[in-house]
Amino acid sequence: MKFINLIYSDLDIFIIQKTSIHKNPMYICVRYLILNTMIYSSELIKGTLKTIILKLLKDNKRMYGYEITQRVKELTDGKIQLTEGALYPSLHALEADGILTTESEYNGKRIRKYYSLSKQGKTLTNEKISEFADFMNTMKFLLDIKTDVA
Amino acid sequence: MYHITDEQIDFILNDIRRNGVEIEDLQLNLLDHLCCIIENELEENGDFEQFYFQTIKKFYKKELREIEEETQSLLTYKNYYVMKKVMIISGAISAGLLSLGIFFKFMHWPGAAMGIVLGISILSFIFLPLMFVLKSKEKKEVRDKILIALGTLSAITISLAILFKVMHWPGANMMAVSALLMMLLLFLPIYFFNGIRNPETKLNTIVSSVLILAGCGLFLTLVRTPTGSRKMFVELTRDYIANEELLQYEKGFQLPVNNSSKFSQNYNDGKRIDLLCEELKRFIIKTETGVEKLDMDFESKETWLGDSRILTYIEEDQTASTQWSDLKTAIKDYNKLNASTSIGGEKPLQITSLILNFKDCKTTEALNSLIQIQHFVLQNERIIASLK
Repeated sequence: MKFINLIYSDLDIFIIQKTSIHKNPMYICVRYLILNTMIYSSELIKGTLKTIILKLLKDNKRMYGYEITQRVKELTDGKIQLTEGALYPSLHALEADGILTTESEYNGKRIRKYYSLSKQGKTLTNEKISEFADFMNTMKFLLDIKTDVA
Repeated sequence: MYHITDEQIDFILNDIRRNGVEIEDLQLNLLDHLCCIIENELEENGDFEQFYFQTIKKFYKKELREIEEETQSLLTYKNYYVMKKVMIISGAISAGLLSLGIFFKFMHWPGAAMGIVLGISILSFIFLPLMFVLKSKEKKEVRDKILIALGTLSAITISLAILFKVMHWPGANMMAVSALLMMLLLFLPIYFFNGIRNPETKLNTIVSSVLILAGCGLFLTLVRTPTGSRKMFVELTRDYIANEELLQYEKGFQLPVNNSSKFSQNYNDGKRIDLLCEELKRFIIKTETGVEKLDMDFESKETWLGDSRILTYIEEDQTASTQWSDLKTAIKDYNKLNASTSIGGEKPLQITSLILNFKDCKTTEALNSLIQIQHFVLQNERIIASLK
């Protein structure tokens, strides 16, 4: 007898349990996990947020906050969703450090702040990306991740 | 696509402000962000308020304020680790310098003052402020931050007050009193009643409060009370006036001296010293009390002599400093002359007095010392006169 359980979780994860049960006490249980959306945990994103912002600004010249969140979502099929609570503090800190420069555009009562890389920011972007690439290789080795799985 | 009205923009902005976002840039960024989400995701005839509150909830875990706090902390404490390192190093340096300075002071070696001044300065201007910034970051509640601020402020003031006191800089007593008042009347009550409520911190709070009270008490035990100071000043002034009267009385018995005698040089030099002493005494009294001459009714006029140092007085006045150096040379010459003089087999007295070796003495000490010099001169005049 075969039956399929469809569980819809809070995290928008569809889990299809495909279970085969025979008459004998032994039964084989096969589960297929089909992950529709897998959102990385905020701890994982925290360490890379700066790098993500810098790389996006490098490719897109100038962007505003909402645009950055949408672009990241789009590029990663929704796997990385930047939260406003993490994005804006980082943007303000990067601006204060002179890594980002800003331009404001007025639209009635709304003011949109566009961020772009300063000269210092451009150098930092390259450094951050190569640092992260190196980090990934180290992690791959450390956690013994097979390349084809990753 | 939903169209947002100006009223709705104001509504959002007010809501963001009310929920603790204070940085203007951040307010505007969040406003634009929320507007973008609403415009892109809300249907044209959707419920604005419901959608807004649903959206903004995704911005935080507990409160919207989190974003403000995170931004503030990233902006302020980006140098957190550097600050921590500087704090530890400056603390070690100031403690080392201070101990070394005190050791030098007791051994009477040069450089003691520099060690003490530098040590206390580093302690009060680098170590303690940094400690406040780092400690207050650890505390969440405003009351705890105020407590740390009060504690640090009184600690800085006390250490500076002690520095000012030993360096004889003005304002030391006022600083010490205000620091102690702040400690006892503001810090201690808040600390005590704050800590005693929590069973976990109750014992520690009581012990620390007793230590603070005892510390302040010990400190105050060393301090002379205002009444005590007044009494001491009055007695010392009375003592000076008596000395002055005695001197004038003695001068009345002066024997006439023949100017053509072979000791006229000794006599004239002595007269000059006596005159300079009079000038300097008048200057010291005038600067300290504001009156030309002190009489026995000084107590009712409140014109007693305090414990200021004459060094600063004299250095600040052109005439007085010239008179002071003149007096020193005159006494040196006078002593030399007297050493080579023999009056009827007797040698005139050599002038020695406190003020000549210790310029940084207090007003009454200086005045009495000057009177002593005048007595020496008077005595030598008698020796000369008695020969005739």
